Amino acid sequence: MDLTPREVSEAPRPRRRILPAVVAVLAAVGGLAVVAVFLTSSIDYYCNVDEVGVRDGCADDQRLRVQGNVDEGSLQSRAGQTSFVMSFNGVSLPVDYEGEPGGVFQECIPVVAHGRVVDGILVATRIEVKHSNEYKAENADRLDQAEKSACS
Amino acid sequence: MTVGSTGTPTTRVIGALALLITGWVVVSAFFITPADSVQGDSVRIMYAHVPTAWIAYLAFVTTAIASGFSVARRHRTLGFDRVAGASAEVGVLFMAMTLITGSLWGRLTWGTFWQWDPRLTTTLFLFVTYVGYLAVRRIDTDPRQRASRSSVIALLAVLEIPLVHFSVVLWRSLHQEASVLNTDGDVRLDGLMLFTLFSGVVAFTLIFAWLVIHRQRLTTLSDLERVVGLDAAITARRAENSAGVTA
Repeated sequence: MDLTPREVSEAPRPRRRILPAVVAVLAAVGGLAVVAVFLTSSIDYYCNVDEVGVRDGCADDQRLRVQGNVDEGSLQSRAGQTSFVMSFNGVSLPVDYEGEPGGVFQECIPVVAHGRVVDGILVATRIEVKHSNEYKAENADRLDQAEKSACS
Repeated sequence: MTVGSTGTPTTRVIGALALLITGWVVVSAFFITPADSVQGDSVRIMYAHVPTAWIAYLAFVTTAIASGFSVARRHRTLGFDRVAGASAEVGVLFMAMTLITGSLWGRLTWGTFWQWDPRLTTTLFLFVTYVGYLAVRRIDTDPRQRASRSSVIALLAVLEIPLVHFSVVLWRSLHQEASVLNTDGDVRLDGLMLFTLFSGVVAFTLIFAWLVIHRQRLTTLSDLERVVGLDAAITARRAENSAGVTA
C-alpha cells in the first residue's frame, strides 16, 4: 500500500460563486433595516410621560414603562411607600411605588417606572434610573452649582 | 520562537507595556480620578466596561477582516483563518467582561442588574453570535472547510456591531447614549476621567494584541502537531505493512 502523499494536481479550481454570498449579505442588511425602520415602536424601551394615552403602544389601559424626570420637591417616602411626580415635555404624572427605588434615584433625575395607570396615578412595580451620558467630577463647587440650579 | 513557547521579543515588549499601562489605569481608576457627581464611586466601573466593549468590537472587526483575506486568498494559507479565530475568542472574552461589568454598574446606578432594553439585548445577541461562531470552528472537520464556514459567519456577524453601537440612537433605551463616540462629536467626560478611560483603551488594546498573537501561534503549533501525528501514523502503518509482507 502506497501512502506517499500525492502531488497536488494543477487542475483548475472550481470557480467560487459570489452570488450566494452577496444574497446573504443583502438579506442580513435588509433584515437589520426592517428591524431598525419598521419595528421601532415595538423595540422602544419606554413611552415618555406626554405620550401616555396618545402614542401607539402607550395606551393607558395596559402595563407601561414610562420615562420622565422626577419633579423637584415632589419626592415623599413614608412607611415603605415612595411617591413622586414625573414630568416630560410639560406633562406630569404622579407615581406611587411600594418600596424604595434603588440605584442613584433622586429628584431631578430621569427615571423609567414600570406599572399601570390607575385613576390618573402610575402604580409602579419597578423604578429604574435612566442615567445621562454626562460624567462630572464630584466636588464642592459643582455641588453648590447643582443646588443653585437644581432641575434646571 | 522555540517549540513550547509562543513568545518573542516583540510579544514580551507588548506584554510589559500592557502590564505597565494596566497598572496605571488601576491606580488612576481607584485612587486618582474623582467620583462622579451623580453615580459616586460606581463610575470607576466605566474604566473597565467601556474599553472592554470597544476592544470586543475591534476583535470582531479584526475577525471579519482576517476572514475576508482568508476568503480572498481562497484559504490557500490558514494564517488569516487562525487570526480570525484567535481574535474572535479574545473578543468573546472581552464581551463577557463588558456584560458582567455593565450588569454590576447597572445594579448600582439603574437599580437593576439587567433589562431587555435595545442596547443590552443587542449586545447579548452579539455575544451569543460569536459564541456560535466559535462553536462552528470547533466542529471537527477539514481546516479549509472550517475556514470557509467560519469566514461566512464572521462576515455576516460583523454587521451586528453598528446595530449594537447605534441601538441607543435608533431606539429609546435605558442605556445612556455614548459619551465619547457619539453622533454630535461632544465628549461628556471630565479631563482626568477621559484620560484614564483612554489609558484603559490602550491597555486593553495591548492585552488584546498579546493574547491574539499568542493564541494564533498556539493554534499554528496545534495544527502542526496534528500533521506530525499524521506523519507518524503513516510511518507506523508502513512499518506494519512491510512487516506483514516479510512475515
